[in-house]
Amino acid sequence: MQARKTVQKEQKNSLVPPLIAAIASCVVPGLGQMLAIAVHRGIIILISLVSSIGLLIWRIYEAGKRYSDWKTIIQKAYYLNPFLYVITALIIIGYILNIVDAYQQAKPQRSKATGMIFVILLVFFFQGWEIGGIDMGSLFADADEAVPALTRVMWPWDKAISHPEEYRTTYVEVQSPCTEEPYPSGEVKEDEPYLIADPTCGDPSVVEKSLGTEFHLIGRNFIPGNTIEIWWKDPINNEFHHRVGGDYLIIKPDENGSFDVSVIMPYRTIPPVAGEGPKTWQIQARQLVSVGGAQASQELKLAVEKMIETIFIGMMATFFGIILAIPVSFIAARNLMSHSPLTLAIYYIVRTILNIIRAIEPLIWAIIAVIVVGLGPFAGILALTLHSLAALAKMYSEAIESIDPGPIEAVQATGANWFQVISYAVIPQIIPPFVSFTIYRWDINIRMSTVIGFVGGGGIGFLLAQWIRILDYKAAGIAVWFIAITVAVLDFASAEIRERFV
Amino acid sequence: MLQVRNLTKIYGDGTVALKNVSFEVPDGEFLVIIGLSGSGKSTLLRCINRLIDPTEGEIIWNGVDLCALKGEELRKVRRKIGMVFQNFNLVKRSSVFANVMSGRLGYAGTLASMFGKFDQSDLEMGRGVVERLGISDQMHKRADELSGGQQQRVGIARALMQEPEMILADEPVASLDPVLAHSILKTLEKLNQEDKITVLCSLHYLDLVQRYATSVIGLRLGEIVYQGSKTDIRKMTDEQFKDVYGAEAERIGASIEGGS
Repeated sequence: MQARKTVQKEQKNSLVPPLIAAIASCVVPGLGQMLAIAVHRGIIILISLVSSIGLLIWRIYEAGKRYSDWKTIIQKAYYLNPFLYVITALIIIGYILNIVDAYQQAKPQRSKATGMIFVILLVFFFQGWEIGGIDMGSLFADADEAVPALTRVMWPWDKAISHPEEYRTTYVEVQSPCTEEPYPSGEVKEDEPYLIADPTCGDPSVVEKSLGTEFHLIGRNFIPGNTIEIWWKDPINNEFHHRVGGDYLIIKPDENGSFDVSVIMPYRTIPPVAGEGPKTWQIQARQLVSVGGAQASQELKLAVEKMIETIFIGMMATFFGIILAIPVSFIAARNLMSHSPLTLAIYYIVRTILNIIRAIEPLIWAIIAVIVVGLGPFAGILALTLHSLAALAKMYSEAIESIDPGPIEAVQATGANWFQVISYAVIPQIIPPFVSFTIYRWDINIRMSTVIGFVGGGGIGFLLAQWIRILDYKAAGIAVWFIAITVAVLDFASAEIRERFV
Repeated sequence: MLQVRNLTKIYGDGTVALKNVSFEVPDGEFLVIIGLSGSGKSTLLRCINRLIDPTEGEIIWNGVDLCALKGEELRKVRRKIGMVFQNFNLVKRSSVFANVMSGRLGYAGTLASMFGKFDQSDLEMGRGVVERLGISDQMHKRADELSGGQQQRVGIARALMQEPEMILADEPVASLDPVLAHSILKTLEKLNQEDKITVLCSLHYLDLVQRYATSVIGLRLGEIVYQGSKTDIRKMTDEQFKDVYGAEAERIGASIEGGS
């Protein structure tokens, strides 16, 4: 058909001689072709050249809009974005080819400048490349920086397990002030961490007057690698960090679990209630050690909780969707609604509403639902219910429309009433497609409910979005894994169920 | 006694399916309606049990004008008129027995029957009918697992559950091979003779018509063009047959054993 039309058109003679056509196309691209009775060709050339020139001007303006006069704008634009040179060159080639094409179209023996369409396509390709900001280099240039993040997402399981930790405090007692009786130093122990102080007595610092006694601490049998904090406990049982120049003192023991450190006894006022005479102070070494076995981490527990929530969001949405869609599907079925103008009008109205609801993505419905009912799973359920209602009602009604009218006729002929006809002739025929569509919908809903949380609709998506925002890629990885596993399992299960039923 | 008077049916798109059709069927008759596809046979049969509403005319059965009936009254009359279809019109996914029992819906309570519950006596009757038609082995199979001939037996069983006084059979053997066609028609004949059920049946093959009909009407383009008794049919010539079926029709001389 198409081929024959072109042939017929080409048999008509041009209205103008070739030179005039060429000049016309020079003034307005495509005009020469139109005058040569190649109207479609002319229109296509006109639209594509005008729109690509328009796009070019927009891009030049975008690139150089900080400058006021046109000359600088153009200069800066081409300087900043050398890609525009290629596009400009191609447009000029296209323009010239358009003139050549007009000349050839207007000749008595028509021929075409075949390269022109190719050049126009090339112009749009490069403009698309430029506008889309395609930068293949960035795929590889910074790839190594993405590797740590991606590795965390792909293998997040060390974050799934947590080891409970506790501070173990080892201390040595010192006396202040010194007495004539030497105070005993710490004990040396086997297998257990211990501290020894030298000397065993001293005086605290006094502000702006004197530094306190310097105690030399020896620690042994600590866990290698785990940091140790040094604390003091004064005679009235106040515990506080030892500071050096304002920072807490943190020590890392060597591979044998030993350390040596000197600390100056800090400034401390002791209230009179403590009484007179020598007092006992503690110097503590607190080390973080793991106690007990491994347990599920907070993130893992949260992910499991939210995954369950997600599955139920999908389930409830499917459930409500079915309940609402079944009655709606009967009034959206043409064969049941075509017997009077009124019912036909209802049919068209219902169909239109369903199409509108279905055309709007569940994510957008979720945003609306969040505005109405606030953040949380209920918003997600509402959004998915609406979408399921529209999709299921359409599918159900199509199933009703495609049933065999024979059994309906036969059951009617037995003297059965409307309800009996529906339950004996209609329902048995629509059960298989209904089951199949419903399972399919459930599948989609579970998948949708994993992302509905991104806009505040509850479920694991909410968690995933949060973890991605705080750059906790391991936690995000756990969520991604859960989504993948759940979707895969449900995919398999729904395929099985469908096979059994249909 | 069924009296059809001046029956006319014009469809919404202007097609005239029946034009001023009048005839009478005494009780116990095996009336065969012949005619080409589109001659109005199906429309005529469906007008009688009002699956199609006639445009004009009267259908008087046992003194009642069926055309004037509505709602509950119409359903009560429909119970007494069984119908058998060319494509059997069984619910394919339901069991044979469920299909048979659907013939009893006109007598059953709405709510109970919607949940598949029937009186014990109805179930008893269903088993009897299934037995009588020789499909008791297939009772619990899905309807679409049966062969064509067996499916048509299910269709007849469904009609019998209505305890009908009349059976409308719309080309009951058109989708069956000749041997099965005879077996199905013999079943209908038996019901006609033993149970005194009036049968109105549309058929295509002259040999079958001559073998089973006790009277015949021929339709062409919605008008009656032939009417004859049992003896007339035996004498029916190819000329008359062509008058009904048009010039191109050939008598199908199949090797059909007559003899009852």
